[in-house]
Amino acid sequence: MDNLNLAFLFLGGVAAFLSIAMLLAKNPIAAALSLLGIMLCTAGLYGMMQEHFIAAIQLVVYAGAVMVLFIFSIMLLNLKKEERDFKFTTPSFMATYTAGIVIFIGIIFQLLVHYDLFKSTMIPGPFNTAEVANLGGNTKVLAHALFSQYYLSFEVISLALLVAIIGAVVLAKRKFD
Amino acid sequence: MYITNELFIQILAAFLFMMGMLIVVQRRNTIMVLMGIELMLNAANLSMVGFSHYLSQIDGQVQVFFTITIAAAESAVGLSILINLFRNFGSSKTGEASILRG
Repeated sequence: MDNLNLAFLFLGGVAAFLSIAMLLAKNPIAAALSLLGIMLCTAGLYGMMQEHFIAAIQLVVYAGAVMVLFIFSIMLLNLKKEERDFKFTTPSFMATYTAGIVIFIGIIFQLLVHYDLFKSTMIPGPFNTAEVANLGGNTKVLAHALFSQYYLSFEVISLALLVAIIGAVVLAKRKFD
Repeated sequence: MYITNELFIQILAAFLFMMGMLIVVQRRNTIMVLMGIELMLNAANLSMVGFSHYLSQIDGQVQVFFTITIAAAESAVGLSILINLFRNFGSSKTGEASILRG
């Protein structure tokens, strides 16, 4: 249990700042680039936690494929810079903002109350950092789990991906009227 | 109480989830709503990896692998629906799409 690392603080702070920038962005492409920055910061955090496989997947799938899809469709639809579509003073924004703050504080409170309880009442699993490094790294351990214990889930998820690909092609090609 | 790395990850995940929820509820542009959903999924992933690391288990990371797959599928289908919406209504505002008839 080590104290807060400075790199963690930096990556997390940048991610939090970019999420605020994303909420306030007028231009959709600026929001998309902020989301890309958040994905990159999250991938950096995964890498700092020694979860290399998840970090690589985050970079390839999220920051690569999904964000390219988003930016591509923004350019396809030719969305322009527009007026900010909400005002800070409207009752609806105030209500949502208050609800968000309340939920956030509730989550933080529950975390602080129960966080140490978790570790003391629960038996930790075998895969601590040293053991994972001993077994050949995060990728190898995950691959063993994925193709033995979670084999059926893996097959089902690939089927779901296939269905999504076909659905996206059919929906995008469909001509109305 | 010290703020450890793991606790910081959880606080950050909660914050990102809150911001994603605000974006989904508050923005009127459909593509911004989809981006907010992606941000919420990302925050949930971060929380799961943090707890998986904290409890020295591998199940959370496998779950994150599945979640990322589903998020990619969701964004592909969502964006093709968005393109159809834009073709039909000529706008990407959520308020414009108020007619259910195709």
